[in-house]
Amino acid sequence: MTDMMIETRNLTKKYKGTPAVDALNLAIPRGEIYGFLGPNGAGKTTTIRMLLGLIKPDSGVVQIFGQDLKRERIKILRRVGSLVEYPSYYGHLNAVENLETIRRILNVPKSRIDEVLQTVGLTKDAKRSVKGYSLGMKQRLGIASALLGSPELLILDEPTNGLDPSGILEIRELIKKMPQQQGITVLVSSHLLSEVEQMASSVGIVNQGKMVFQDSIPNLQRKAGSEIHIALSDPDAAMITAREQGCFPRLDQGHLVFKGIDNGQIARLVAALVDARHSIYRVEERRKSLEDLFLTMTSGAANASSERHEAGAPRAAGLRKEAAQ
Amino acid sequence: MGTWIAALRSERIKLGRSQIMLLAVIDPVLCAVIGLLANVGKGEGAWAGLMLAMMVLHAMLFLPIMTGIFSAYVCRYEHAGGGWKQILSLPVSRSALYFSKLLVVMGTLALNQLLFLIAVLGVGALKGFDLALIPWADFGIKILGGFVACLPLAALQLFVSTMWSSFAAPLVLNVVFTIPNILIANSATYGPYYPWAQPMLVMMQAGGQYDFGAFGLPAETLLITVGGSFVLFLTAGLTYFNRKPV
Repeated sequence: MTDMMIETRNLTKKYKGTPAVDALNLAIPRGEIYGFLGPNGAGKTTTIRMLLGLIKPDSGVVQIFGQDLKRERIKILRRVGSLVEYPSYYGHLNAVENLETIRRILNVPKSRIDEVLQTVGLTKDAKRSVKGYSLGMKQRLGIASALLGSPELLILDEPTNGLDPSGILEIRELIKKMPQQQGITVLVSSHLLSEVEQMASSVGIVNQGKMVFQDSIPNLQRKAGSEIHIALSDPDAAMITAREQGCFPRLDQGHLVFKGIDNGQIARLVAALVDARHSIYRVEERRKSLEDLFLTMTSGAANASSERHEAGAPRAAGLRKEAAQ
Repeated sequence: MGTWIAALRSERIKLGRSQIMLLAVIDPVLCAVIGLLANVGKGEGAWAGLMLAMMVLHAMLFLPIMTGIFSAYVCRYEHAGGGWKQILSLPVSRSALYFSKLLVVMGTLALNQLLFLIAVLGVGALKGFDLALIPWADFGIKILGGFVACLPLAALQLFVSTMWSSFAAPLVLNVVFTIPNILIANSATYGPYYPWAQPMLVMMQAGGQYDFGAFGLPAETLLITVGGSFVLFLTAGLTYFNRKPV
């Protein structure tokens, strides 16, 4: 309880009667990189704006550092760095001046400006007017602004949006280093599972304003589950052999597919198959991809799993394409 | 108090190399041109006459329009680059931020008025008026009164400027309501309550029988309406800004 950096209870925000965030319970322990995952429009940004007090929740409680946001907003925000949606900047100023506007409010030493510019690799362009920056550079300036006050909690909303692959990699490495080097807890939102998987230690998946999964990344991977595929010469006959061993596989494109089977069972099964003179070509473990799991979880409570294939298919294809980028 | 000063100092950086100071110069320069062209006798009331000649456009048109521009300007850079959500995620109260913006507007207005006074004195000196005859008290009251009378309008314009993300919309509103000034100032009933006419009413009281319409009202009455409307618009603006979803 006391070690929760962010905790929300029944956080709800409605727009014209439709809930954008619906009774959301977030729990982010200290030192984590928390991946806040969900498709576009799932309520991630709305949640983050409520965490920062930019909008007021219709109901529910936000506690940051164990303090009530409503009452201690200013005190809390002093210890939080944030980047919401697209980066904010004053185009007519250069990077140093942009940071200076924030520095004066945070009241940190001037040297912090050079430090954060160094951290995000903008030192070279610091004296250029931000108007002429690329989106990636603006994004990095946004992260620099978020880091300026040496926050204990960093809230980054889609920080790698609009970055090129090398930029994404840089930002990802930067974020991954934070908990170890500076003890910062990070909340990072994304619509890309692969990205969250690569940097987060725990994950919360939201869909239509509701939390559908919240746990550590390894647990998410476990939940994805795995199957053993065996390719062999005569699958039909092998099915019978397998049943005699007490395993009930399904047949999939000439493979025997076993679910929830342990090492001992596999060993006995393979021995029995060899005894029965089957030629075994491969025995392999296949993980259900996290993408599929993510899609299953986010395809909406309304869609039954059977419907998903028709209704969810085009969207799924689109998301997969996005995820592949 | 600390955060309020910090917000003000932060605001100073944002104004930085921007052209707002240039805007504060335009009005006095234009008025100086008018003053130079005006045909004012060198007699006893020379200074007062010159002031009046230069003030007509200043008080009726430029000053209210400038007030709108300054108010819109301090909100422009916040609307443009997503500055609101950045600055409101910082440890600064919304009221402190709002007051610091209002104070910047007030500061620029004060500068504008000061430059106007300098323009009047400069033109007078150029025309060879007797410097010993400068009616300091009268000038001081007019300049200061005009500044104070702009404050309700500044509060009102800041309110709409924070509300509308467009830079042009508050300006259009401002100009549309400034144009009928000369008509509305004629009405003793409505004139005093019209924020766009207030600077004109306060600055252009000639005294004696020359006053007509709302110009004839006693200064105290005017200042009470000015003060009242300032409080009203400031409260409305602050209440809105404190609830504004960002």
